[in-house]
Amino acid sequence: MKKAIQTVKNPLRRRILREFTGDWKKYLVIGLFLILMIGFISGVYVANGSMLTAFDESPAKYRTEDGHFVLSDEADRELLDRLEDDENITIYQNYYREEKESWSGELKGREKLSKKQKNDVRIRIYTLREDVDLPCIMSGRLPEKEDEIAIDRMHAENVGLKVGGKLKAGDRNLTITGFVSNADYTTLFENSRDMMFDALTFDVGLMTQEGVDTLSAPVRYNYSYLFTTEGGNGQIERAADDIKEKEKNDDLMENLYQKVILTGNQVDDFVPAYANQAIQFAPEDFSSDEAMAGIILYVLIAVLAFVFAITISNTITRESTVIGTLRASGFSRGELIRHYMAAPLIVTLISALIGNLLGYTYFKNVVVAMYYNSYGLPTYETVMSSEALIKTTIIPIVIMFVINLIVIAHKMRYTPLQFLRRDLKKHKRSKAMRLPSFFFLSRFRLRVLIQNISGYFILFVGICFVMIMLAMAVGMPDSLGYYQKKAPEMVIAPYETLVKTDHDIYGEVIKTKEKSAEQFSASSLVYTTGGRDENLEVYGIIKDSEYLDSEKLNDLDKDEIIVSKAMAGKFKLKTGDTIRLSAKYEDKKYTFKIAGINSYEAGSAVFMPVDRFRDTFDTEDDSFSGWFSREKISDVDEKYILNEITAKDITKMVDQLDHSMGDYMHYFQYLCIGLSAILMFLLTKLIIERNENPISMTKILGYTNREISSIYVTATTIAVIISEFIAAWIGYEVMIQLWKKIMSRMNGWFDFYLSRQGVIKMLLFVFIGYLIVMLLDFRRIKKIPMDQALKVVD
Amino acid sequence: MSQKEMFLQINDLHKSFGSGDTKQEVLRGMTFSVKKGEFCVLLGPSGSGKSTLLNIIGGIDAADSGTISIDGELLKDMNEKALTQYRRRHLGYVFQLYNLIANLNVKENIEVGAYLSDHPLDIDDLLKTLGLWEHRYKLPNQLSGGQQQRVSIGRAIVKNPDLLLCDEPTGALDYTTSKEILQLIEQINHKYGNTIIMVTHNEPIRGMADHVIKLRDGIVRTDEYNENKIPAAQLEW
Repeated sequence: MKKAIQTVKNPLRRRILREFTGDWKKYLVIGLFLILMIGFISGVYVANGSMLTAFDESPAKYRTEDGHFVLSDEADRELLDRLEDDENITIYQNYYREEKESWSGELKGREKLSKKQKNDVRIRIYTLREDVDLPCIMSGRLPEKEDEIAIDRMHAENVGLKVGGKLKAGDRNLTITGFVSNADYTTLFENSRDMMFDALTFDVGLMTQEGVDTLSAPVRYNYSYLFTTEGGNGQIERAADDIKEKEKNDDLMENLYQKVILTGNQVDDFVPAYANQAIQFAPEDFSSDEAMAGIILYVLIAVLAFVFAITISNTITRESTVIGTLRASGFSRGELIRHYMAAPLIVTLISALIGNLLGYTYFKNVVVAMYYNSYGLPTYETVMSSEALIKTTIIPIVIMFVINLIVIAHKMRYTPLQFLRRDLKKHKRSKAMRLPSFFFLSRFRLRVLIQNISGYFILFVGICFVMIMLAMAVGMPDSLGYYQKKAPEMVIAPYETLVKTDHDIYGEVIKTKEKSAEQFSASSLVYTTGGRDENLEVYGIIKDSEYLDSEKLNDLDKDEIIVSKAMAGKFKLKTGDTIRLSAKYEDKKYTFKIAGINSYEAGSAVFMPVDRFRDTFDTEDDSFSGWFSREKISDVDEKYILNEITAKDITKMVDQLDHSMGDYMHYFQYLCIGLSAILMFLLTKLIIERNENPISMTKILGYTNREISSIYVTATTIAVIISEFIAAWIGYEVMIQLWKKIMSRMNGWFDFYLSRQGVIKMLLFVFIGYLIVMLLDFRRIKKIPMDQALKVVD
Repeated sequence: MSQKEMFLQINDLHKSFGSGDTKQEVLRGMTFSVKKGEFCVLLGPSGSGKSTLLNIIGGIDAADSGTISIDGELLKDMNEKALTQYRRRHLGYVFQLYNLIANLNVKENIEVGAYLSDHPLDIDDLLKTLGLWEHRYKLPNQLSGGQQQRVSIGRAIVKNPDLLLCDEPTGALDYTTSKEILQLIEQINHKYGNTIIMVTHNEPIRGMADHVIKLRDGIVRTDEYNENKIPAAQLEW
């Protein structure tokens, strides 16, 4: 009678452990890489999750405003009461003054600022806020005396200020009592129109009322509001969704403008919270960081899965006769597929578990530190996220599983007999390819190259991946440097001076004696596309302008405009397209046809002749918004000047990006060298393993190790060099597309730029990685025994 | 011998490779039977179709026409899954090259076969029978060719298969080692009673078989039972 119980466990399982110990270097390298990668990404997920939870709790905890508006003069109480009643809001005085910030002595961190930047640090000082936008104290305490101030933590760290230290706001000497995070300035955007936040030269401070009263800068009449429940019992009511929030804000804005004008006052700014970059940028950035981190992780896992699959495919070829015997003995295809898939899955699982552990403990802090380096974030509590675990454990395993299953199942499609006969090629080359009559060794190398073409293709894919990352690591500082250098050329004029009004208090048109000054008109419109509002400037330019190529402008038809290069690039606009723009605070729409694209790169803007501008926006014939000039306009009373834009405003975005990302990009470059070395280590190992028998045979024939290496390593070197050039181009093209995605989230635009030196750097970095591997390859070839080719058994 | 039932029946088996001008008919209507527990030797020169025949019996190759029935089951009715099960349940395979798993030791290589069976032989007992007890923890590359072939036989026999197929099991071995392997196969046949079909081109081996089938050009030339069977130890060539 047959025994029904199977007593022997599958002994193939024991092979797996021996495979790990036998090829421990390979598994260690892959494992460590996976652990670090998964650990870091898991850290990103955990940190983001925790931070986003802190943000979600922020409106209730810190009473974050639903929006604010700035009036030219103080509002009378009656106006505010009417608005509160009409719109179910509670309005809070949230006045501030803007002073020049300065420090004495050289402090740590200050070297990051140029001399010019040091002389242009602004601090926006609010009276201690008790009803709205409450501060989160990060260290120290809030000010209690009139010569005390609490400042934004991030700015303080960026410039090296310390609690207990001193700073000067205007001409007032103040003691820093603490660092805070402000709910309405989690990202230090000075204006909602700014292209990028600026934690280097912009600061937010809190002082006592008495302290603020001692400052000399004029008061800005800023009012923050919170929506309340209908009926006016004062209960805060957050909008149910984004659409409702926008509707409520739109109603408020319309009502505000109408009522404010009636009182003879003026609305200088209206910024609902959902459109306030200072509030929204950080959480949005976290979400996109998460998405980006996820993509990088999955692409990397896919590449490693592919490397694994190809390595296993190679092992299957090597173990072909054993597999044939096992299949002939009754092992099913499924059993063998599962057996060969075990190693990559085990490595991924263990790496994911260790990686997650590190993600929750070590890497979370690394990521949080990175965020604190960029944003003025409040305190947070670590939130354990099952989503992070799924995204960094389950999905990598699934990717590893699917790719290996496809490749291994495909490799296992042969019959037992084909395995026994080592007959695993679908198409057998009937004839050897004829090669030109090169020197023998050159032909030998070429044969090696052709014979291992599939291995080199995988190497190429790996190099492509590294090059994409390198294009980012090298290209980002390159692009920033390029724009820092090019900024003076990017502005329309060295000085663009905007006036608050074109008539002085006596009703006379404001004039300047500056010879290079040229009047222009400007207005802000919104271009809505892809669910996103882009603020843009509309310029009315005089005939024969000195500062803009006006030839085209003079020939424009009634509904035609010229758009800036930046805008055309960002929204893929071309001549002949029609665009629809709308007024920001009014229900007015404008449709224009694009007649041309000019070279203005500093932001989204459209241009038209000034007469057309006046017709379109229904302004007076002598109206204007400011001057373009080569020299500073210094003869106009400051009270009439709204803003002065120079090249430094363009570089603000660049400076901040450089500060937040610059260092990381350098680390990233080293990481890329490491990654290229790892990938090439694994892939060239594969190619040499495939060629162990021919290498052994050439040794038997009397070739020296040097000659053999020159054949096999040179073939690989040629493949690496060719791959490098193609991959660099692919990396550059991919990065252009990625860059467009990054830029589309920001107000403003600049193209991705990679210098010639940058390209050389990319090629060099990968080659450095390869040189390390090449030395290992020499050793590998040297270690292949001569009897390898003579072995008939495994 | 005569009272034994027919275990393997092969009827009018045809098999060819290639097509058109290059078509080569390897089996040209082969018919014979083997009884249960029999030690059958398929003898023939290179190209006589003996390995092809063995592969078809083993279910790892398919005939163009004709039938094979093993213990009443028709091979041609089986799909791939059923064929795998058939090999798993009924067959043991020994090849000229040993095809051992390099990173499993002797005992584990034999366990690979045992795993496939619901009623495997006692592995320790088998190791002693094979003369491998002392070497059971060695890896294949620490063994001689003969020892490796013993392991390969052990792997095939441990699942106690109804049918053991041996394809030139001594083809890669020297005279002395070959005789040791043949003695081992003989011993297994006696001890466990498996039906054994062995392909060889080595004429003197016929002396140890119960049943000798000579093949040439894809057909059975002679099919006879050995009246004067001699032990493997006495074979000379």
